[in-house]
Amino acid sequence: MTAVLAAPPLHRDRRRWAWGLGGLVVLGWSLAGAGLFSGPVLNPSGLRQFGRFAAAALSPAHDAEFLRVLAEATLVTVAYAALGAALAVVLGSLGAVAVSRTTWGRRRAGWTAVRGVLAVPRGLHEAVWGLLLVNVLGLDPWVGVLAIGIPYGAVTAKVFADLLDEVPRGGYEALLASGAGRGTAALYGLLPQAAGGLLSYSFYRLECAVRSAVVLGLIGAGGLGYQLALSFASLRWEQVWAAVYALAALCVLADVGGRAVRRRVAEPRSADGSRPARDRVLVVAGLGSLALVAWSWWFLALSPATLTSARTVDQLSYVLDAAWPPATEGDLLTAIGSAAVDTVQMSVIAIAVATAGAVLLSGVAARRPGTGPARWAAGLAVRLILLLLRAVPPPVWALVLLFVLLPGVLPGALALGVYALGVLGRLVAEASEEVDGRPRAALRASGAPPLGAWLYGVLPALGGPVLALALYRWEVAIRDTVLVGLLGAGGIGVLLSGRIAAFDWAAVTTVLAAIVLLTLAVDLVSERARAALR
Amino acid sequence: MAAGERVAVVGASGAGKSTLLGVVNGSVPPTAGGVRVHGGDPAALRGRELRRLRARTGTIHQHLELVGPLRVVHNVNAGRLGSWSAARALRSLVQPHGLDDVRSALEQVGLADRMFERTDRLSGGERQRVALARVLVQRPDLVLADEPASALDPALADEAMRLLGELAADRGGALLASLHDPALALRHCDRVVGLAAGRVVLDAPAASLTLPELEAFYGVVR
Repeated sequence: MTAVLAAPPLHRDRRRWAWGLGGLVVLGWSLAGAGLFSGPVLNPSGLRQFGRFAAAALSPAHDAEFLRVLAEATLVTVAYAALGAALAVVLGSLGAVAVSRTTWGRRRAGWTAVRGVLAVPRGLHEAVWGLLLVNVLGLDPWVGVLAIGIPYGAVTAKVFADLLDEVPRGGYEALLASGAGRGTAALYGLLPQAAGGLLSYSFYRLECAVRSAVVLGLIGAGGLGYQLALSFASLRWEQVWAAVYALAALCVLADVGGRAVRRRVAEPRSADGSRPARDRVLVVAGLGSLALVAWSWWFLALSPATLTSARTVDQLSYVLDAAWPPATEGDLLTAIGSAAVDTVQMSVIAIAVATAGAVLLSGVAARRPGTGPARWAAGLAVRLILLLLRAVPPPVWALVLLFVLLPGVLPGALALGVYALGVLGRLVAEASEEVDGRPRAALRASGAPPLGAWLYGVLPALGGPVLALALYRWEVAIRDTVLVGLLGAGGIGVLLSGRIAAFDWAAVTTVLAAIVLLTLAVDLVSERARAALR
Repeated sequence: MAAGERVAVVGASGAGKSTLLGVVNGSVPPTAGGVRVHGGDPAALRGRELRRLRARTGTIHQHLELVGPLRVVHNVNAGRLGSWSAARALRSLVQPHGLDDVRSALEQVGLADRMFERTDRLSGGERQRVALARVLVQRPDLVLADEPASALDPALADEAMRLLGELAADRGGALLASLHDPALALRHCDRVVGLAAGRVVLDAPAASLTLPELEAFYGVVR
C-alpha cells in the first residue's frame, strides 16, 4: 500500500494579508481623493514657465554680490542647525533619564504617562513650533533654535531612552550586585554599551537639523531657506538654483561628515592595548562640534535674557490665556475633519510614490563591489539625484510642481513624495547593500536572468526592511504634510497657519490637538503594521 | 560557612548552583527561607545598607557580565564602584583612577599589557581573567564564583582558583565557587557541597572525598 500525501494548502498569513489589502484600499481612496480619477490635474499652460525654471539649472546665479548673500545665509542656517541639535542632545539626555524603563522599573503607569507627555512636542513639526514661538518671542534668533531644539529634544529623549533600555543588562545587574548605586551602575554598565548608538544618533540629528533650519528659513527665520523663498517669489530662477546647489552642498557635507563619524563609532580602530589611546578623528569631531556650537551662539548673538524678559513672559501668558479653553464650534471641527482627510491622503500618496521609486532605483543606487565603470557612474549619478531630491525641502518642490499641476492635494502629495524618495531611495539602497549577495550569485550561476535572480534572491530579503522603512517614513511624512500645508499646499497645515495669522488662539489649540492626535494615530497604525510584518 | 573556608558547589546543570550564588549576593530573591550574609539578609535590606553589604561580596558571574565596549581598565575598576562616589566614577571614565591597583591585579592574572584594550576584543579566557581582576580590586570579604575557570586551560584554571582562594584567605573571608571539574574542587576547596534539583545531597570535607567518589557523584546526578 502506498501512502499518498495530500498537497498541503498554501498557507498565507492572514494578518499580513489584511494589512496588505487595507494598505491598497487606503492608497486607492487617497488617489481618488486627490482627484486623479475625476477630471484634469495637469496645467499645460505652466509648461513654459517650468521650461524656463529647468533651463536655469545650468546657469545658476554667480555674481559676487549674490554669492556673498548666499554665504551669509548658509552660515545662519548652519548656526541654527548646530545650536538646535545641541539643545536637542541636552534636552534628550535629560529627558532620556526621565523616560527610560530603567528609571521607572516596574512602575508602568508613570512610564506611560511621561511617554505620553513626550508625544506632544514630538507630534508638532519644527515649522509649527517656529510659527508658535514667533508669536511669543518676536523675531529673535531663539525662535529658530528652540523650534529645532524642542521637537528634536523630545524625539532624542525617546530614542536615547530606547537605546539605553535595549542594551544587554548583565553588566548593569552585576555592578548592582557588587554594591554600586543605580546611577553609577548605569554609567559603567549601560552607558558604554549604548554610547556608540547615542553618539551616532546625535550626529544624525545634526544632519537632520540642517534640513530643518532650511525649512524654518522658508517661514521667515532667515538663512538659506529664506533666500530661496525670496528668489522664488521674485521669479529669479538663476538665484533659486544657486541656493538649491548651496543647500545640496551643505547637505552633502553634513551627510558625509556625519556618516564618517558614525562609521568610525561603529567600527573603532584597534589600538595597542598597553597604553591609553583615543580615536583622533572622533576627538576632532567632538571638539569641532563644541567649537561650532560656541561659534553659532556668538554668530546669532543669542541672549538668554530674551527668554525671561518681561515682554516674553507677558506675551506667553497672553497667548496661553487666549488659547484655553480650546474652540469647539461645529464648523471648525468639520473643517478640521476634512483637512485631516486631505492630510492623510497626501501622506499616503507621497509614501506610495517614494517607495515605488526607491525600490525601482535601488538596484542602480546600491554600491556593489566588482562591477564595471559604467555601472559605477550610473550609481553615482542616481545617488546624486537622490541627494538633490532630499536637499530641497518639500514646500519648494510643491512650488515647482505647481508650474505643471493644478492646485489641490496632488501637488502637495507629489512634492512630499519627491522629497521622501530622496530619503527612502538612500535607505533602501543601503538596505539592499546589506542583503546577503550569495543567494543571488547562486541563482545567477545556475543560469537565472538578472531580473529573476533579483526577484528570487534579493526581493524576499529586501521586502520586509523596505516596508518597515516606508511605514517609518510615513510617520515622518504626516508631520511634513503639515509643513507643506503651512505654506499653502492644502491639508491641516493651511488651517493652522490661517488660525495663527488671525490670532485665533482658541482655534489654534484645537487644531494643534488634532495634529497631535493625527500623528499619534499614524504612529500607532504604522507600529502595528510593522509588528505584523515582523 | 566559616571565615577562611573555601567551599565548592557541585552538581549537574539546572541543579541550582547559580541560583544559590544569586540568592547570596541578593540579585535573586529567595522563594522560601532566607540567607544571612555578613550578618545581614540581602533580601530584607534596602538602599545604602544593601549596597554596603553587596560591596563586601564579590561575584564572578557565569556569563562574566563584563561591559564589552568599555576598556579593560574600566571594567576592572567597576569592581570598586560600590565604594566610589558617582562623581569619582564619572571622572575615572575620563582619566582612570587607581591605575596601580588595576595594574597589579591585571599582572596577577597575566593581562597587564591589555589594560587599555576594549574588552570585547579579548578572547573568552582573557575576559574570564578580567572578571577575576575585577573581583581582585574589589577586595570583598566573600567571593562568589560561578564556574570561574570554565574557559581557562588547566594551568590557568589552577592559578585562578589559587588567586581566588588567596583573596578570600587574605582578608579572613570565604570563597563559594560552583565548579564542574571535580579535580579542581578537591584541590582548591576545603568543603564540597553537592546540589541536585535545588536540594543539598552532599556536604563533606574535601579531605574525606576521593576523586573517583566525586566523579561518581557527578555520574549519578548526570
